[in-house]
Amino acid sequence: MVGPGFRDDHILLIAPGSKTTLAQLGLPESFTPAKLRFPTRMFPGLEEGQYLPNKVHELKEGEEMLLRNGEVMTAGPNGKPIKKRKVDSKLSSKPADGKGDTTMADATDEREGNEEEGGDEDEEMNGTKEEGTNPKLFYEDDDDEEGAVWCLDQGRIVNWEAFFALLLHIHETLNPTFHTPILMISQPCWTCTDKERICQFIFEKLKTPGFGMMDAAAAINAAYNVQHSLVIDVGYDKTDITALIDWNIQEVNRTTIPFGGNSMNRHLHKLLPELTEDEIDQLKRSNICEILPAGVPIPGEEDADREAVVRPSEPTTIGMGGVAQPKALDEEGDEEEEEGVTNIAAIVASGKTQEYLAKKEKEKADKKAGLAAGEKRLPNYKREKNSFSYVEKVQDSVLENGKTDHPTEVPDGERMDVDVAPPTTEEPKPVEGDSNAGGADVPAPSSEERQLATTNDAEGEKAAPDAEANKSGPSLMESMFSATKEDEDAKRAQEKALRREEKKRQEAAQSGERRREIEVGTERFKAAEGGILEAIADAAHRVVSSADNYNLRSECWNSVIIAGGGCRVKGFKDALLNTIIAKYQVSPSSGTIFTSELPSNIPTPSGTGTNTPQPSAFNSQPNALLLQAAANNAALAAAGQHHLSIPQPNQGPTSIKVAKIPEYFPEWKDHGFDECMFLGAQLGAKIYFVTDQGANKGFVTRADYNSQGPQAIHNI
Amino acid sequence: MASTPQMSGVLPPTTKPAELEYGGDEVSALVLDPGTGTTRCGFAGEDTPKTCVPTSYGIVPDPEDQKYFGKLKIGENPINSVVEGMEIRNPMSDGVVENWEVATEIWRHCIEYRLSSRIEEHPLLVTEPIWNPLKKREKTTEIVFEDFNAPAYFLVKSAVCESFANSKPSALVVDMGHAYTSVTPVIDGIPLRKGSERTSLAGQHLTNQLRHQFSELGIRMAPWLTLKSKTPYTDLAAAPPLRTKDFGFQPHQSFLDLQQDRFIHEFKECVSETWPEAKTFPADINNLPDNFRGIADKAFEFPDGYQRRFGIDRFLAPESLFNPSVSPKAITGDLPKGIAEMIKDSIDHLDADIRANMLNNIIVVGGTSLLYRINERLNHELMTMFPGPRVKIHSPGQIPERKYSAWLGGSILASCGAFHQLWISKQEYDEVGANIIERRAK
Repeated sequence: MVGPGFRDDHILLIAPGSKTTLAQLGLPESFTPAKLRFPTRMFPGLEEGQYLPNKVHELKEGEEMLLRNGEVMTAGPNGKPIKKRKVDSKLSSKPADGKGDTTMADATDEREGNEEEGGDEDEEMNGTKEEGTNPKLFYEDDDDEEGAVWCLDQGRIVNWEAFFALLLHIHETLNPTFHTPILMISQPCWTCTDKERICQFIFEKLKTPGFGMMDAAAAINAAYNVQHSLVIDVGYDKTDITALIDWNIQEVNRTTIPFGGNSMNRHLHKLLPELTEDEIDQLKRSNICEILPAGVPIPGEEDADREAVVRPSEPTTIGMGGVAQPKALDEEGDEEEEEGVTNIAAIVASGKTQEYLAKKEKEKADKKAGLAAGEKRLPNYKREKNSFSYVEKVQDSVLENGKTDHPTEVPDGERMDVDVAPPTTEEPKPVEGDSNAGGADVPAPSSEERQLATTNDAEGEKAAPDAEANKSGPSLMESMFSATKEDEDAKRAQEKALRREEKKRQEAAQSGERRREIEVGTERFKAAEGGILEAIADAAHRVVSSADNYNLRSECWNSVIIAGGGCRVKGFKDALLNTIIAKYQVSPSSGTIFTSELPSNIPTPSGTGTNTPQPSAFNSQPNALLLQAAANNAALAAAGQHHLSIPQPNQGPTSIKVAKIPEYFPEWKDHGFDECMFLGAQLGAKIYFVTDQGANKGFVTRADYNSQGPQAIHNI
Repeated sequence: MASTPQMSGVLPPTTKPAELEYGGDEVSALVLDPGTGTTRCGFAGEDTPKTCVPTSYGIVPDPEDQKYFGKLKIGENPINSVVEGMEIRNPMSDGVVENWEVATEIWRHCIEYRLSSRIEEHPLLVTEPIWNPLKKREKTTEIVFEDFNAPAYFLVKSAVCESFANSKPSALVVDMGHAYTSVTPVIDGIPLRKGSERTSLAGQHLTNQLRHQFSELGIRMAPWLTLKSKTPYTDLAAAPPLRTKDFGFQPHQSFLDLQQDRFIHEFKECVSETWPEAKTFPADINNLPDNFRGIADKAFEFPDGYQRRFGIDRFLAPESLFNPSVSPKAITGDLPKGIAEMIKDSIDHLDADIRANMLNNIIVVGGTSLLYRINERLNHELMTMFPGPRVKIHSPGQIPERKYSAWLGGSILASCGAFHQLWISKQEYDEVGANIIERRAK
């Protein structure tokens, strides 16, 4: 079939997720993270069966409402809106989001216009936009989303009408040309009929000339560009686990387990029942919530359980499992560094550069005053308590200034602007030193802290703050300096922090949100203790163990890919990997570590330290060659009396490693690879639509659809 | 393999296709292959099933529930999660469905899980073992039409499917599955009841033997799910304490067994091996003769970290498939015949004129046939038994083709153009009733 000749900038990518749907029009020169993010939900419209992307709010008479494009809407008498246009200079001065933003703004205008004409009393509250554009308003609690219809549940499409309305909304928002083919990332749990239904909708409603679907796991694998892999995609309420062998998804044994980022929320909520769901969510996303690597004790807790998880460093595993520990800590160091970088990027992008610079200045000042950051700021994992700033969206906000304008590009994971001990690049890393000391050693500073900590346990922490911290109010300080004894320094820093705090509050008040420090104890290290790690590890083991080609299973274990929004919690990936290693990795047996209990006339293999020795006496048949021959039946017939035995594997896995993150996508480096599925989608789209032009049937063309119907989607 | 038929005339890209042009006949058929170990399902015309779910299910007792007196847990993930009081059961008995209510639920899950949310739209091909009695065949028909509301249906003997999957219309099909090893002669696509044999010397037997063998050795068979982590050790006498997880309750024994099956399965894959000749297997493995030709050990690490080398003892369980008298766990009741003997019996029952053909076309399939070097042994024994005619064993070289042979054959059959006239339609069922199956598919 002759390709319709699609162009790079005419390709629409859509990746629906349970919480957020990523979308982008056009493939940039260098692949970028998704340009647009839509919450995967719709609100019931004014009429039955109609869905709107935003929550419909009633605007009371005389109230003012700010529209994100710089307008202020005032509801006049009789529900007649009066529109004032306020030109926001910032909007045009930001080059990064110029295009997408204006498009969205236009779309809003249009809709607003329509409603005005209808003389409708209700006005739209721009739920999506505010969320999508303002980092501080992104986290809405359930009240804000009241009545929202979430289209996907555990990846499955539960409300088709709403889902199609969302697709339509995305399509309208991006407003692509008629020559725009669409590539959609499909969830592993979508059934064949689901895919047909989507295919039908896309062709009949969106009138696209070409439509392709790419499996999420395949997309992730494509981003990493590995031949065999084990893809663990941690989502909101589910985790998809897929083994890929020779780029092919092992369809039969892939699985989806009902554990995801939300399971951690639920678990945290159980531990901290006094916090609201929204607070829990922000806590999880904050920097202070982390999963400690095995061997690092939870401060203030002599937890035998955690010790037990540490993989014993017996000689045979040093080459394998033993490596994982120090490496885990190293990686964490890197992560911190990375996060530092991304924070800057996010801050710059969000237009809060001033604020950030001011903060930096203060830090510098602190340093000048002779305070090494490391001395006074204990890393998070050594503090028994730490706090994060909770950003509360002020409801029924009648806004007066235009500070809500921020680009949509900022990924939500980094939106949390946590000011408590942010791991900046300047911060020296005691982590490195400790990692050498090994797991069981309790680092000195933390033991010091522990002494302090013993006076007030986790429960009573709110009531009885530390003695030193009593001197001044804010809880931020309590935690930040509870471990320091240098009163002078502490005082000064406290003052500074207070000022900073003040400033932030002011700013927050201006932008229609409230900031509040919430202090939490060691519960913040326990997000993943609700069984999520074990569940994923066990399912992963089942998936790989049931992969049919058992000789390639070890290859899968050697490139484990952990992706998805749910794994953003600090330390999650390492903790998961360590859990898998601790339970399922097999030590490579060498002849020296144990003796045969059989009589000695059975030859003992030489203790070379290699893998399990192959049986030698009877195993001399060239099985591998026979297997080759078996590939075609002609050769099989010729094989005559030889009988096929598929080579026997050794017990595995003897090593478990994460796949290397590809390095040639600079934009993604800053963004993090959690959403690398979208990178895979871009690669896929490039190949299917541009390079290949349909030669290998990478997508369904209009003609295919017309001749085969929705089932054409299965023939690609 | 047939794919969706292409329409000859291509509409201009702007025209919306008429409703008639898709749907209807082109809805792909589903192929369901229920076994005791797993139930396989997928679309006809594809080369592997899309889903393969364990046939075992969990039940959490709940006296409130009127139907099952408990909450059913179906599927790979639910039965592998630790749930208080959950008991693992299997709706199959004797290789055929025993508990119809649950089996129906499992089949439905199998289809709706990843295949199609519209079960009522697809013609359904179901496989059955040759010993499936009339009552159960009628019951299957009833479920497919009444519960699933399928538009069309057919029931095929799995042995026939297997011979098709190996592109041999006539063959002696040896299916080594989970619960049973069966031998079925198939002549021109017709299975012969005469000459078909079965024995329970199959995957489950191996698992039970190995479980017994391990417990005799004093190995703590703690499965992964009950452990926090492992501690490698080699000396059973000085075993470190188990790092077990505390669930606050004791998981049901049937659940623990199911979990043990997982590493026993791994053992079967990686360590178990079939001894190549019947007569050279040592009579007493604990007292080997001096001149005994050695074999290399293979190491295995149990979930709790215990590492052990297995020498001749790793041949013992597979040996019991051929010679049940050496079973580590003594078989109660009559000693069954070994697999090779059973094949001999089957051949002996056949008419003399087809014996040579059968011996030359022995197909060995099923998951247990993946046991290392089992075909060599089988070949050796049959060669000894039938020195005259040429014995030839065929076995697919690809693992999925062996495991899903019956399903694959069903997939080929259902996608054949000629098969279309065989489907039993809903209308026919409505007219005749469940007995239609006996008339249309013997």
